[in-house]
Amino acid sequence: MNVGTAHSEVNPNTRVMNSRGMWLSYTLSIGLLHHILLSIPFVSVPVVWTLTNMIHNLCMYLLLHTVKGTPFQTPDQGKARLLTHWEQMDYGVQFTASQRVSYLLTSFYTKYDRVHFVVNTVSLLTVLIPKLPQLHGVRIFGINKY
Amino acid sequence: MAAGQQWVLVEMVQAFYEAPAYHLILEGILILWIVRLLFFSKTYKPHETYKLTEKEKEDLIEEWQPEPLVPPVSKDHPSLNYDVVTGPPSHKIIINGKECTNFASFNFLGLLDSDRVKDKALASLKKYGVGTCGPRGFYGTFDVHLELESRLAKFMRTEEAIIYSYGFATIASAIPAYSKRGDIIFVDEAACFSIQKGLQASRSFIKYFKHNDMEDLERLLKEQELEDQKNPRKARVTRKFIVVEGLYINTADVCPLPELVRLKYKYKVRIFLEESMSFGVLGEHGKGVTEHFGVNIDDIDLISANMENAVASIGGFCCGRSFVIDHQRLSGQGYCFSASLPPMLAAAAIEALSIMEEDPEIFSVLKRRCSQVHQALQGIPGLKLVGVPFSPALHLQLERSSGCRSSDLQLLRSIVDHCLDRHVALTVARYLEKEERFVPPPSIRVVVTVEQTDEDIQKAVSCIREAASIFLR
Repeated sequence: MNVGTAHSEVNPNTRVMNSRGMWLSYTLSIGLLHHILLSIPFVSVPVVWTLTNMIHNLCMYLLLHTVKGTPFQTPDQGKARLLTHWEQMDYGVQFTASQRVSYLLTSFYTKYDRVHFVVNTVSLLTVLIPKLPQLHGVRIFGINKY
Repeated sequence: MAAGQQWVLVEMVQAFYEAPAYHLILEGILILWIVRLLFFSKTYKPHETYKLTEKEKEDLIEEWQPEPLVPPVSKDHPSLNYDVVTGPPSHKIIINGKECTNFASFNFLGLLDSDRVKDKALASLKKYGVGTCGPRGFYGTFDVHLELESRLAKFMRTEEAIIYSYGFATIASAIPAYSKRGDIIFVDEAACFSIQKGLQASRSFIKYFKHNDMEDLERLLKEQELEDQKNPRKARVTRKFIVVEGLYINTADVCPLPELVRLKYKYKVRIFLEESMSFGVLGEHGKGVTEHFGVNIDDIDLISANMENAVASIGGFCCGRSFVIDHQRLSGQGYCFSASLPPMLAAAAIEALSIMEEDPEIFSVLKRRCSQVHQALQGIPGLKLVGVPFSPALHLQLERSSGCRSSDLQLLRSIVDHCLDRHVALTVARYLEKEERFVPPPSIRVVVTVEQTDEDIQKAVSCIREAASIFLR
């Protein structure tokens, strides 16, 4: 794929989250996931909420903080080869807000049960902490460096 | 249904009252943070540049002295006084109104003036017009381009070939198509300017090794191997290349290709071979330095050459395995974003290839002439001959340099002028001195072609000898 030729944006990854319909499709896909989980007969409502939260956070972590580089060749000779998607984006304020709202909703519906609390909080933290500006480009223990 | 809803409402409110304190505090913090993020924070940049105070800005502005748009240049700068050629640069070239024997143009096989080539080019001109007015992707691909690519691939016995419309851009586009930031390229110090521009465009780590010094290259490769062993994960994502020329245009000698192939397999690096001077010159059938050394063409990952020397056309080509060459169809900047080769030049190149295939005798004739000229130019007092006996472009350097490059160049220029007066066309090798990484010493470049006769060579050599005895004492 030859990017950066129809417009001047060298790495489209920086702007993909701002495109039209991204927010709507994101919310709808979470809703869809939640509904699918709800339709499993033997799982109770609090567990479903926790599961939604966990799966959402896990997918978010994998896509934004684990996978590096771009799925296409960019004309900047591989500047973003070692950067995760989050580091390539210029800013992603809305996403952290959405994670926290999701956490709030989950806590509400799990009725503050302690085990659920621990699981949900840990899941939330794994997704919130890599988004802090202080952790830009940080690779703990050299994991995922190359 | 109503009972279920009631359960949700009542129990939720109850749960809120019974919630543990730490949980509520954490949620309160989260809500505040969300509000702050959504409404109160500015977009941040991870790399904040240092902010200057107003006074510092004023100081900097006052200190700044603008450089002249055009730097001062002396009136007798060599680039301002050029020799004007009228007519074709064939065996007899008309320079400044004087007809001279051509010892300066890279017309090694004499194909520039070939009637067959000219006829084919004219027929193509009548059929296609002059230009293509488009890059290869936008209706710029003509059947002659595809034919030339397949003919070149067949001639070089590789899987595929790709054509560029400008010889300089060929290797300068090919290198950055494969080598990116973080990759390592080992390149000879005497690499030509187009290779240097390709290296610069690639943004990779460049490691120079001394010219034709395989021990230096092996030392660099060993160092890299040690580093790789320390950090194997990094080594796995780093690509390594060696870029060499078959016949070097700056020093007129040949690269030790079998040794390079041995190093390639020992240290797992890829070889890019630039064959502009050796394509159509070396080897029994003119296939270049791989045929000259008897190296299997599949051992070389990419061969790049321009068609502006022996083939007497314009443009360049790269050939190799399909897997390698196909990548350049989308990533070769000179291929995707420049207009394609004019069809008449492609047709001329096809005809030149046909002549090369039909008559492999010309390569042995050229080789004989080269050794003849090499022999004759030896032992001129004051000038030393640089180059291997089978190179068609030799360099005559000053035996004793005066220390200053411009006075050396002036001396050599006076020799060339002396020869021009006696109807022998020579040239001083020219470089962009400020841009070259390792500027070669000033020299006169003597070119051998198949069209030169014994008398021409004798006359040229005696002119040079005469000039050397006058100007270099």
